[in-house]
Amino acid sequence: MSNKLSLLAALIGVAFVNQDARADGRRLNSLHTDVAVRHRRLLVANRFELAPLFESTINPEFQHVIGGGAKLEYHLGDMLSIGVVGVGSTQLHTALTDRILPTLESNADPATREPSQTEFSQHLNSMPVHGAAYLSLTPWYGKLAAFSAAYVAFDFYFQAGVSYAQLINNCDSSVCNDPSPGMARMQGAETIPADNNPNNDDPQNGGTRIGLYLGGGIHVFLNDFLALDLTVRDYAFSDNPSGADYNADLFVGKNPTTGDDDNRFLHHLFFGAGVSIMIPFTVKRTP
Amino acid sequence: MRTIRHRSGSLLVVALGVALAGTAVGGPKKGKKPPAAEKKGKAGGTAAGSAEGAAGGTEGASGSDDIEIDQPKAGAGSAGGGGAGGGGGAGSAAGGAGAGGGSGTIDMEEEEKPAGNLEQELNATQTQQTVKAGEVKKTPLSWKDILVVVRKPFLKLRRTELFPFVAITMNDNMLTHYTIGGEFAYWLTDVLAVGVEGQYYTHNFNEPFDLVARQARRLPTVNQYNWSAALDFHYVPVYGKFAVFDRKLVAWEVFFTAGVGAGQSEVIPRDTKYPGFTNFLIMPNAGAAFRFFLAKWVTINFGIRDYIFIDKFEPTDRSPTMNSTASEAQDHADSSLINNIMFQIGISFWLPTSFEYTTFR
Repeated sequence: MSNKLSLLAALIGVAFVNQDARADGRRLNSLHTDVAVRHRRLLVANRFELAPLFESTINPEFQHVIGGGAKLEYHLGDMLSIGVVGVGSTQLHTALTDRILPTLESNADPATREPSQTEFSQHLNSMPVHGAAYLSLTPWYGKLAAFSAAYVAFDFYFQAGVSYAQLINNCDSSVCNDPSPGMARMQGAETIPADNNPNNDDPQNGGTRIGLYLGGGIHVFLNDFLALDLTVRDYAFSDNPSGADYNADLFVGKNPTTGDDDNRFLHHLFFGAGVSIMIPFTVKRTP
Repeated sequence: MRTIRHRSGSLLVVALGVALAGTAVGGPKKGKKPPAAEKKGKAGGTAAGSAEGAAGGTEGASGSDDIEIDQPKAGAGSAGGGGAGGGGGAGSAAGGAGAGGGSGTIDMEEEEKPAGNLEQELNATQTQQTVKAGEVKKTPLSWKDILVVVRKPFLKLRRTELFPFVAITMNDNMLTHYTIGGEFAYWLTDVLAVGVEGQYYTHNFNEPFDLVARQARRLPTVNQYNWSAALDFHYVPVYGKFAVFDRKLVAWEVFFTAGVGAGQSEVIPRDTKYPGFTNFLIMPNAGAAFRFFLAKWVTINFGIRDYIFIDKFEPTDRSPTMNSTASEAQDHADSSLINNIMFQIGISFWLPTSFEYTTFR
C-alpha cells in the first residue's frame, strides 16, 4: 500500500514539474528558450576563406572546359575582401562539335575549302589553366528558412578584377603548314600568292591572356566556419576558340590592311561550386 | 484507532495539497526574490531604481524571507510611484498607506481629502513659476522597443498575382530567343499557387551559326519558337531576409514551379526555296525563382525555367525529288528531346494591393 502511494506521489510530482510547458496546451519549439535579440551570425572580418571548388563552362561553343581549383580570400571587413582564384581544367567536345566532325572530309582538300576532321579539331584551343585576382563586395547578408525548419545564414557577393588564362593549341606542323598566311611570299625569284586557305594556317589562339574578371555568387553558411559557395564567373579576354577565319579575309591572323583580327574579346562564362572554409574557425563574439 | 501507516497516507495527501496551493499562487519561476540590482534595472529610471534599491536593501537587511511592508522615505515614495516598475509603484502605495496607519498593515480605507480653497488655488497658478523647458534628451532604446518576433511583411494568401516578364534563352549557342510574356496566378495559401502563363518569342542568330557555315561549310539545322502557354503550380519552400549595406532589410523567398503546357516551333529552312513547317509541342516545364518583396503590392522576380519538349527538325536530305514539300519533310523529320532553359525577370503586381493581419501580435 505505501509503495503504491509513493508511486502515486511521484507521478503527481512529475506532473507538477511539467505544468509550465503544458499549462496552456501550446506546443513549444526551441525558440522559446532562445534569446530575443541575436547576434549577427555572419562574422567574416579578418578571416581567411579557403574554398576548394569545381568549375565548368556555361554554354560554350566548341569545347566544354571543366576543372577544379581553389579560391583564397582575405576578408578586410564583413563587406569587403580581396582574393585570388585558380583552376586547372580539361576540355570536352560540345554536342555541336560532335555533330560537325563526322560530317567533315577525312583528308584535307584545298579545292573544297572545307576543313578536314583533323584540321577542324586541331584548330580548337584548350585552356589548361585560368584564374583571377579580384576585389569582392558583399552588400547583402541575411538568413533563410527552408521548409520552416532549417535556418541558415547566407550572403550575396559581387567580384571584379583581372583575369588570367593560359591557352594551348596543338596544331601539328603537318596540318598548319602555311608559312605566310594571307600574304604572298617569295620562293627564289618567284612570287607565290597567298593560298586563301585558312584551314592550313596557324590558328594563333594560344598563349597567355590577360583580361577582365567579373563574378557573383552566394555563400550558404552551414556553421561558423563552413559554407557552400556557388558562383558565376566571367573571364573576359581576347580569344578565337575555333582557331578559324572569323572575319572572312581568307586567312587566320591580324589583317595588316584593315587591322582586323580573328581573335576578339570574348566572355567565358563559368559556373563554380565549392566549399568555403573560414580560418580561424571560431569567431570572437560579444556576450 | 488510526495506525501510523494511515497517518502517513493522510500526511502525504496534505503535503500534495500544499504543493498544489503553492503552484497556484504563481510566484516567480525561479522562486527567488530578485536582487536589488535587477529590480533597479527593470524600473528603468535612476530615481525609481534607487528607491527600490533602498527598499530592497532594507528588506535584505531584515535577514528574513517573510513578506514585509516597509515604511518608505518621503522622497523615495514619490520617485517609486513615478517609476516604471510595477513593484516600485506598489511598494510606494503600500508604504504610503502604512505611514498613515503606523502599524505596518495595509489600510484599505480611502484617505479623506482636505476641502479645496478656490481663491488659494487661483493665487497659486498666478504665482507659479513656469517650468523651464531644457534641452530635449533622446532616451536610449530600451528592451520594450525591440519586437521579438517580426511578422512577415508580405502575405500572399488569397491574393492574385499579375506577373509580366521578359525572358532569354540560356543554353542555345546557335539561336537566342527573347520572349515577352505574362502570368496570372492565384495564391491558395501563402506557399501554394496556381497560374496560367503565355509567351511570345523572337530570336537572333548567334555567332556560331555564321561560323559553322563559313568555317566548317555546314548549314545548321535550327528551329525557332513562336509562342507557348502553360498551366503552372508554384510552391515556396524557402523564405528569408537580408540586410543591404547594413541599413535596409529586404524579405525574399525562393519558389519552385512546375507545369504543363503547349507551344509552337517552326523550322528555319537551310535552303529558302524549300518550305518549312510548324510543330505543335506539348511542353512540361520546371523551374525555380527568387522573389524580392518591395512593397505590399509589388515584388520583383527572377529565375530559371526549363521547357522540355520533343521537337522535329528539317531532314538533312532535301532535294526537288525528296522531301521537297512541307508535309513530306515533316513526315521524315528528325526528332530530338529539347531542354529550352530560359532566364526570366519581371515585376509582379498583387491584388488586392494591401492586406491586414487578423491575429493579434
